[in-house]
Amino acid sequence: MILPVTLGTLAATALAAPALTTRLGRNAGYPIAAIFLALAGLIAAQAAEITDGGSVSTKVDWIPSIGVSFHLHLDGLSFLFAMLVLGVGALIMAYSPRYLKAEGDHGRFYSLLSLFAMSMLGLVLARDLVLLFIFWEFTTLSSFLLIGGGGLRAIQPATRAFVVTASGGLALLSAIVLMSVAAGTTDMTVIMANPSVVTDSPLAVAIAILILAAAFTKSAQLPFHFWLPDAMVAITPVSAYLHAATLVKGGIYLLMRFSPLFNDWQMWQVTLMTVGLTTAVIGALFALKQHDLKALLAYSTVSQLGFLIALVGVGTPAALAAAALHTFAHALFKATLFMLVGIIDREAGSRDVRELGGLRRVMPVTATLTGLAAMSMAGIPPFIGFVSKEEAYSALLDTPGPEWTGWLAALTAVCAAGLTFAYGFRIFYGAFAGPTTQRRLYEPSPAFLTPAAIPAALGLIFGLAVGVLTPMINRTVADTVMTDTDAKLSLWHGFSAPLALSAITIMIGLLLFFGRYPVDGLLHRHRLPITGAGAFDAIYQGCLRLGAWIGAPTKASTIGAHLAWPLAGVLALGIVGVLMWPDVPDTPVSPTRPEDWAVVGVLAVAVVSLCLVRSRISAIVLLGVVGFVVGIWFLIAGAPDLALTQLLVEILTVVVAVLVLRRLPPFFQQVRRSRKAVAAVAAVASGLVAGAATFLLTGRREQSPAAQYLMREAENNSGGRNVVNTVLVDFRALDTLGEVTVLAIAGLGLLTLLRHTAPPGAELSNLPTVRPPDRAGNMVIYQFTARLLFPGIAAIATFLLLRGHYEPGGGFIAALVAAVAVGVLQMPHGPSHPPRIAGLPLIRVGLTLSVLVGVWGLADGSFLRPLRGYLTIGSLDIGLSSSLLFDVGILLIVLGMAVVAFERLGRGSLHPAERSVAEPVLQGQGGERR
Amino acid sequence: MSAAVIVGILMAGGVYLVLQRGLVRVTIGFVLIGHALNSLLVAAGGMGFRAVSFISTSDPAEAADPLPQAFALTAIVITFGITIYLFGLARSGAEDIPADDVPDEERAS
Repeated sequence: MILPVTLGTLAATALAAPALTTRLGRNAGYPIAAIFLALAGLIAAQAAEITDGGSVSTKVDWIPSIGVSFHLHLDGLSFLFAMLVLGVGALIMAYSPRYLKAEGDHGRFYSLLSLFAMSMLGLVLARDLVLLFIFWEFTTLSSFLLIGGGGLRAIQPATRAFVVTASGGLALLSAIVLMSVAAGTTDMTVIMANPSVVTDSPLAVAIAILILAAAFTKSAQLPFHFWLPDAMVAITPVSAYLHAATLVKGGIYLLMRFSPLFNDWQMWQVTLMTVGLTTAVIGALFALKQHDLKALLAYSTVSQLGFLIALVGVGTPAALAAAALHTFAHALFKATLFMLVGIIDREAGSRDVRELGGLRRVMPVTATLTGLAAMSMAGIPPFIGFVSKEEAYSALLDTPGPEWTGWLAALTAVCAAGLTFAYGFRIFYGAFAGPTTQRRLYEPSPAFLTPAAIPAALGLIFGLAVGVLTPMINRTVADTVMTDTDAKLSLWHGFSAPLALSAITIMIGLLLFFGRYPVDGLLHRHRLPITGAGAFDAIYQGCLRLGAWIGAPTKASTIGAHLAWPLAGVLALGIVGVLMWPDVPDTPVSPTRPEDWAVVGVLAVAVVSLCLVRSRISAIVLLGVVGFVVGIWFLIAGAPDLALTQLLVEILTVVVAVLVLRRLPPFFQQVRRSRKAVAAVAAVASGLVAGAATFLLTGRREQSPAAQYLMREAENNSGGRNVVNTVLVDFRALDTLGEVTVLAIAGLGLLTLLRHTAPPGAELSNLPTVRPPDRAGNMVIYQFTARLLFPGIAAIATFLLLRGHYEPGGGFIAALVAAVAVGVLQMPHGPSHPPRIAGLPLIRVGLTLSVLVGVWGLADGSFLRPLRGYLTIGSLDIGLSSSLLFDVGILLIVLGMAVVAFERLGRGSLHPAERSVAEPVLQGQGGERR
Repeated sequence: MSAAVIVGILMAGGVYLVLQRGLVRVTIGFVLIGHALNSLLVAAGGMGFRAVSFISTSDPAEAADPLPQAFALTAIVITFGITIYLFGLARSGAEDIPADDVPDEERAS
């Protein structure tokens, strides 16, 4: 329970941080530091258990269907990193209150920092691949948000850091997917216990490469190193915590964690050592070039991370022990240095190493602490940095393989360490020696210094008494490579090759330091032709341009430009499909009947005329004709319900079209001849392809199994005999619910679209002023007829609805008939008269009713399952089904949509100046009120 | 064969109109394409079976496939909904711009 409690406490801290800062201001860091410290103590209390080879574990099923569990596990390796996360976290939290400005809201900062601690801790504790990935992404995100907190100038660096590390995250995700495919599980304990399931699979190489990509981006290795120095725009606590001590070690952790799988692969070893050592040297060179102390420390971190990666690459227990020790040592001295640079920056107003000198006279404590940490970084005895470097040399010399590789690696490391010594000594010199440049400085408060003093002192204490770390480091190695080891850490190893290398390192370093002016000149004269950030920006801009180029066709504001692409795509697909001429049975079993050709003839004439007419009203009439012909075609194809629907829809379409056309010019716009030609070619091609596809792909089989089943079982299962209707309301009711929802949305969309229409009764500015001479007389006849017709049509609609289950009819058809009734009633009143019923309530009630019927079906075990019963009146048995209610819901929605269309399209529009007072559309639903 | 010809004619007319200027003609073209696809759905059931798919009205062995018909039925109504919406678009465009074509194509190129 310890592990989830720790994570939960950190998450709760993140949530509570804003409230804390409103009470305590920047001092909220102190209680948070106390929480971190308590949690660190909780984890540290497990040390005895861990060193004895035990572990602490929690496993809860999370997504059992794919075998993913919430599995946390604390072993030696996790212990090392968890202590860093919580320990350094506590120091940073205690440092921040004095570093942050007194004013301003720091809730976001503390919250994000706690969130980061939670995700980093989760990352090192996770024992399930999916969990590992999720925490990994959390660290990336919180890092992005923390860097981005630095204001406008932080946008680009934050973006770079995010894009680089998030691509690494994608690589990790791919690796995890492949690994779980290869191993058949996401449980890391199982995979580590039997690495061969992964390493023997054909996916192994891809997995290794992807893991390398994830680790190299996270740990800022060449050529992805550039995001880390960039990230220094973040405030110092963030740099110290994320970009020195913990986040960037995520890659190291990942590589160590997966070492059991790959560390006996030569390619793994060669890649890690090459990239790591190259980064170590180049990073150190860059660091030496810097005068800004923070930039110097950033490149130094890049270099040290390279050193660590090379050690992981060596893969021997001794090398991993050195890596573990150096990870610890680096966190101690680098966090100290960052915190001190922050202090110096605050006090002296400069981070330029050239402007600082003789600080010991004005800020003796700060200078001493800086010196301690710098010496540990430079690898001078008796600091822990010296021990870890000695261990590293010794491990590199013993690199498996030919003897020269060990020497090459060790000598390269000596170069890197020499450079490290040089810039470390530079910081040391700036602190202690030289003339005092700023005499009016004074020592900061002890509260500011203490968090930095603790790791600086620990660096010395652990250096002198490094032996106490031995059991834990051995455990770390044992849990990393799954083999027992017995490294013995001590400050003094006697005269040996590593000691000689250390001596050479110090000599190189001193040479570089004393020759710093020529060295500086040399370094600044030679600039690399490309910088990582420059290359990144070029690629980034390139991607944006590619996107813009791909998206360019959609920028056109004309309708045709948008429609041409999908049409061309469908056409291309169709042509390819037809050209491949699928292997179909020779004899079409679809006989053509003579009456079909009559339909074809009328249709052809109507469609061609429709394409040629210029008058809008003629076009609408022809559209109606086409619709009726299609309806007749449905009728002779054996689909009376379709035919009915089609005919009714056609009537309503024409009515709506006429309402719209009243406000448009009588003729269509002219179209250029060339465009007509192109359209005609596209049209003929589309027609041929569609026709060929229909000919090839339909009607070449016997009755489908679905049809046979429905014809056989529909009545037994639903009580209905009109099979099409039973499909709509019983068998595939969920489909229908989705479709009527689309209609409801179309109705609402229309309401929003036409919200500027004049309210009923308003004076209309743009209606035709010419009125028929005997308007009043005509109206009387109309109104009388409408009153006469309405009850009849309404009765027909009800009848159609009720019989829908057995005969042609149903909710859709009844709704369309009812809509005709509403239209008839509306016509004599003209657009200024509000309809008797409003569309929106109909849609609302209909949708609610349909869903309620669905929920009712749950009573019988399934959403929308129809419930059936029988009503006996005398000797008459009437079958009842809840699907009738569902059909009523459909009716209401479709009717509502049609009423909305009549109501809105019929109205006049408001003059633009009056629009601000137009009625709210969706009043009572929080609708937009313009 | 007749189904194929009907689908072809409707498709050709629809595509031609969709590529014209003006939202009203585009809408009409859209309706034609809708007809074409609904006819295709019905044809998918096989034009050899044309008896109405009502139980105890027609011989089940002759009956048309009810499943694609149900698809087509909802498709017709959805087409209607979208048609109305497109007309609404044409209508709302007409308020600000005299013609129903939202932008002027000659200028937009």
